[in-house]
Amino acid sequence: CFSSSAAAHIGVGISGQEGIQAVLASDYSFSQFRFLQRLLLVHGRWSYLRMCRFLCYFFYKNFAFTMVHFWFGFFCGFSAQTVYDQYFITLYNIVYTSLPVLAMGLFDQDVPEQRSLEYPKLYEPGQLNLLFNKREFFICIAQGIYTSVVLFFIPYGVLSHATQSNGVPLADYQTFAVTTATALVIVVSVQIALDTGYWTAINHFFIWGSLGTYFTILFAMHSSILFNIFPKQFHFLGSAHNTLGQPVVWLTIALATVICIAPVLAFRFLKLDLKPQLSDTVRYTQLVLQKKQKPCGRVGRGVGGG
Amino acid sequence: MMASSYNAKDEDGHHPGSVSSGGPGAVKSKKPDNTAFKQQRLPAWQPILTAGTVLPAFFMIGLIFIPIGIGLLVTSNNIKEFEVDYTGVDMSSPCFNCAQNYSWNSTSGCTCSVPFTLDQPFESNVFMYYGLSNFYQNHRRYVKSRDDSQLNGDKSSLLNPSKECEPYRTSDKKPIAPCGAIANSLFNDTLELFYNHPNGSRIAINLVKTGIAWWTDKHVKFRNPGGINNNLSVVFQDTSKPVNWHKAVYELDPSDPDNNGFINEDFIVWMRTAALPTFRKLYRIIQKKKDNMTPTLPPGNYSLDVTYNYPVRSFDGRKRMILSTISWMGGKNPFLGIAYITVGSVCFFLGVVLLIIHHKYGNRNNNADIPN
Repeated sequence: CFSSSAAAHIGVGISGQEGIQAVLASDYSFSQFRFLQRLLLVHGRWSYLRMCRFLCYFFYKNFAFTMVHFWFGFFCGFSAQTVYDQYFITLYNIVYTSLPVLAMGLFDQDVPEQRSLEYPKLYEPGQLNLLFNKREFFICIAQGIYTSVVLFFIPYGVLSHATQSNGVPLADYQTFAVTTATALVIVVSVQIALDTGYWTAINHFFIWGSLGTYFTILFAMHSSILFNIFPKQFHFLGSAHNTLGQPVVWLTIALATVICIAPVLAFRFLKLDLKPQLSDTVRYTQLVLQKKQKPCGRVGRGVGGG
Repeated sequence: MMASSYNAKDEDGHHPGSVSSGGPGAVKSKKPDNTAFKQQRLPAWQPILTAGTVLPAFFMIGLIFIPIGIGLLVTSNNIKEFEVDYTGVDMSSPCFNCAQNYSWNSTSGCTCSVPFTLDQPFESNVFMYYGLSNFYQNHRRYVKSRDDSQLNGDKSSLLNPSKECEPYRTSDKKPIAPCGAIANSLFNDTLELFYNHPNGSRIAINLVKTGIAWWTDKHVKFRNPGGINNNLSVVFQDTSKPVNWHKAVYELDPSDPDNNGFINEDFIVWMRTAALPTFRKLYRIIQKKKDNMTPTLPPGNYSLDVTYNYPVRSFDGRKRMILSTISWMGGKNPFLGIAYITVGSVCFFLGVVLLIIHHKYGNRNNNADIPN
């Protein structure tokens, strides 16, 4: 009884009248054998999908964030000087990019549960390890490295000769740091927006909220209030206002975003258009069906049985 | 493409709540709540990448970026910029002697005069920069070698600077003000411009030395200790000047108390470290003439008089003087215009390619039966 659960990938126990021994040894348990169908075809499949998307995005955003320092090393004498403000480095993974990917990992669905049960063949990618394997991993890493190249060299190319409209050069370290950090947060937020397939209100709140939090914290930390209390810690005084008030900086950020996202968009569109997977077809058909049903009256939210 | 929530049929018939073995008291049902959140039925928007959204997006990006790029390139090409390298590397260069004979102990600075010609008139305000190459102001040890509370006028930090400033923290057993490697390497060449009038006279061009630093730097970040209107030599009396400076910090501009001490604008501009090894910093501003008819710098012969104090030959660095006009987007920056035109064209071209591929090979499977 125990050994089969221990040897398998997942142990599933059914609680019943023979006692709860199997339940205690298992990862998942339920009360009727027929629930196994939902566990595998709906929840197991969604869980696999969410986990793979989560992992790919996580590697991508961290490579995009970290590899910028590798490129900067060539220009700072390999002295390990960080491109970003130290507080940005601390808060990037905790505050600015953690919640959107968490929401995607919790709520994402590619096809609704009815269709998952109707088309058991949708379970195949999980069995064949199609959504996250060595190849997919290297693609995520490559995308992260490509993004880091764009995020470093576009501000490098623009800011090294740029000046503000009052003549003061924009090539100082703090302006470069704010520009690169802002571009990074915007690019990875657009990427999670592309990755998220099922936008609940919580996803909206987390994604836009994280972006808003970034700008709020940025302006708060670069304000004179914090500087006057801890001058050595918050020495980026005035950077956010000076940098983000320049049209050149926003043009740079927009350019970097488009260069990072356009290839991804093109590639995904081509994949959907030329070689759609079964889940893409089911998803498309489902949504077309729903659009057709709409004019005939509201698609009612069924009353959940009691 | 907007989807609303599903109707999740409750497959669970009536089922007596599971009985925990031998549990006394009330039997609670273990069935999870039938809420939208817990049953994963939240209303959601489910976007799909279709040809109807992706292709117009690419065309729109192309159509927006290309005009922006053209505008930026035209604006940048209208900005006038002139650069003269006065390091004195070649034997024929006017500053060669100054570069060769540099010694740390010389009190009188070596002077040299570099002649140049402006072919076009420079209108409106003209900005004069000094540029350095191969100077790594972004090295990690260099960047942290400063004390921001000392520079903010904190009395205790003035006499006891931070350990980050080592080895430029004390000198002759007295604390250095301002401490650190950044302050110690302050750029101290003096550059002056003269216009050689055709009638033979040499006219000095008026260079304004204020208004070159960030407002927040000048008014908040850098403050002299002891407040304003104080005798600075008294305030700094227990400190020593940085090792490589010729003058003390309160002698940087004695004629203007608002530009002396830590709030000296040249000092503030230098302390704002550059991000890259080749950089330029604002040195002076040549203001436009009162009558808007005459150009600020008419075309002709000019000469740049340099008091060569700053040694760069030892690390193969270069020094330059740059004159530039300014527009709404700043100085001359063709990179941004060219990049926008390139990216806009590539996106437009990509849109066309995707349209062709979609038309020829695009799948019609979406309307076919789903294989089961």
